[in-house]
Amino acid sequence: MSAATSLPLAGLLPLVVLLPLGIAAALLAVSHWLPARFIELSALATSLSVAAACARLAQAGLTGPIVQWMGGWAPAASGRSGVVLGVSFAADPTSAALAAFAALLFALAFVFAWGEFDDTHGHFHVLMLLFLAALAGFCLTQDLFNLFVWFELMSVAAFALTAYPLGKSSLEGALNFTITNALGSFLMLAGIGLLYARTGTLDMATMGRMVMHLSGDPVVAAGFCMIAAALLTKGAIVPFHLWLSDAHTVAPAAVSVTFSGAMVSVALFGLAKLLAKVFLGNAQLAHLSQEFLAPLGIATAILGALMTWAQRHLKRLLAFSTISHMGVVVLAIATLRPAGLAGLLVYIIGHGLVKGALFMLAGMLLALRASGDEIILYRRGRGLGMAAPAMLLAALLFCNVPWGLLHRGEDLIAAADADATTRLVLSLATALTGAAILRAALRIFFGCSGVPGVERAAPSEPEHEKAQRPLWVMQLSCWILLGLAVLPGGSLVAFARAAAQQLLPGTLSAAALSGESSSIAALLFVVAVLAAALLRVRPVRPLMRAVARGEGRLFGALQGLHSGLVGDYVVWMLLGLAALIVCAQLLG
Amino acid sequence: MSLALGVLPWLVSAWLFAVGLYGIVRSRHYVHLIACLAVCQSATYVLLLSIGFRWHAGPPIFYDHPPGSAAVDPVMQALVLTDIVVGAAVSALLLAIALQVHKRRGSVDPQSLRPLRPNR
Repeated sequence: MSAATSLPLAGLLPLVVLLPLGIAAALLAVSHWLPARFIELSALATSLSVAAACARLAQAGLTGPIVQWMGGWAPAASGRSGVVLGVSFAADPTSAALAAFAALLFALAFVFAWGEFDDTHGHFHVLMLLFLAALAGFCLTQDLFNLFVWFELMSVAAFALTAYPLGKSSLEGALNFTITNALGSFLMLAGIGLLYARTGTLDMATMGRMVMHLSGDPVVAAGFCMIAAALLTKGAIVPFHLWLSDAHTVAPAAVSVTFSGAMVSVALFGLAKLLAKVFLGNAQLAHLSQEFLAPLGIATAILGALMTWAQRHLKRLLAFSTISHMGVVVLAIATLRPAGLAGLLVYIIGHGLVKGALFMLAGMLLALRASGDEIILYRRGRGLGMAAPAMLLAALLFCNVPWGLLHRGEDLIAAADADATTRLVLSLATALTGAAILRAALRIFFGCSGVPGVERAAPSEPEHEKAQRPLWVMQLSCWILLGLAVLPGGSLVAFARAAAQQLLPGTLSAAALSGESSSIAALLFVVAVLAAALLRVRPVRPLMRAVARGEGRLFGALQGLHSGLVGDYVVWMLLGLAALIVCAQLLG
Repeated sequence: MSLALGVLPWLVSAWLFAVGLYGIVRSRHYVHLIACLAVCQSATYVLLLSIGFRWHAGPPIFYDHPPGSAAVDPVMQALVLTDIVVGAAVSALLLAIALQVHKRRGSVDPQSLRPLRPNR
């Protein structure tokens, strides 16, 4: 690429953050005089422009990252070699593609929420644009402290959006979310401070060169552990995950779309990027990430799936399924291979599309049937047009049916991590989340239901969203997401493989493993579990009663762990951080 | 002597973080809990300022002494300032939410409130 064309592209980099920030500020200033339609349209246009700009940057970045030093403070400007004073944005193709995907998801969330927030003077749209700007900045920045600033901005916008409905539950969910995540960001800041104490720089590339020679240094290791704990908190990985099910359950459906589809997975991508750019050269930390993250990912996938199965409130059910899928993402990070990173990108996009569509379906039910509880909604889904096939399709995509982006991503991850048992366990775990969604869909839309089992005791609460909204607009945004999710995705996979090699140089394995055997196993498992749930009768015989009691105890204990008490959440976070630091020192 | 003074800020920071966390876990009032969160945050201020500190160095303002004379690290001070701003925003938001919780539930005890109650 010639210098003449790359120069204006570098100018796009700050723009993808400045545009949503500027529009948000302008809207906030004049929103009292603007018609609601105009606010919605400008928010939609802004997020679409950000998506287009990031997609252009991602495509151009394949030939080499596009870098912009803010205010012209390039490393040479400091006048001393090795001293970096400026802050830079760089669009490597993976980061830019994720930012583009996030912006697209925001655009569709705006479409879905069309007419829902008419009487709020645009505050909803302002917060969402702020959130989008922070996500884009988080993806693109190359400076550790700047990363923290975007992380915080993202958090604050998300806290406010969770509390937005000002209902009883949403306020308490927002408090739990805010307190746990604020603690996470204190940890991140302290970790950045520790790293700066040892390396004297905040620029990722420069710090990476310094950290390489500091293997076994306890201060660097502690700094890494604190940053990792913060990102794992945002990414909802066991035992840092407890806030997520509260926050996603109580936020408006359009907000949950962006939480599950973009915020959580972008935080985990941030961890992957920091590992690739800063910490992988350090033998101790590379070893730690491999040894510690892989079991954490498996535990997250399994616990998330079990909890998904035991829910009755649709948004809470989807929240736990997000936790389960994030376990797979962490496993992709733990491979520390370019194929794993390529799989991570495709998987995050595939998951975000399907999960976004599912949250939209939950939002439709909340708006038009005034409930999100699959037992209360029994047979009440009729008359919602194309919602029933949409929910079936989305559930099948989670059941490891071999179509679509999600499956391609899982194949790539499996190719990077050749352990067959791990792969089987993971595909069964994610299939269980698919089975739970299928169970809900069959109950709501088709009236198939056995006697409710473990899910009967799960928390639920009456809740509804604004009903006077056009159904076809909600269905349109949902089907656009699903349509993108079932694309064969050959070109995206090729792009992801090329992009991952730029982030993490290394050799890619030639071909992805074919996942047919585990796909069939997962489908059989789904059929068995569903049959057990839908043909369930009231346990009468002593044996069946004993089984039901045991099941109730197991899931009751798991539900008890997710108590909703913020004190418990903080204790679990601390235990996780302590385990991380102890492991780091043992491996050092 | 100087070693003890060098370790002191780290110990203070760890202590502040620990007592803040203890307060959060045991809290029975949201306003108290938010104050405890602020205590945790002060731990990061102390840590960052001690990282940037140098003995016998002035403030990083070169208005009345020549450029190049010893000064403490301005980067860490900028970090702390940013953190204070963010902390103020988070505290304000939390207090506003706590107020709304009090209006709607009539209680601000974290141990008696939870987002969704299990069905029994």
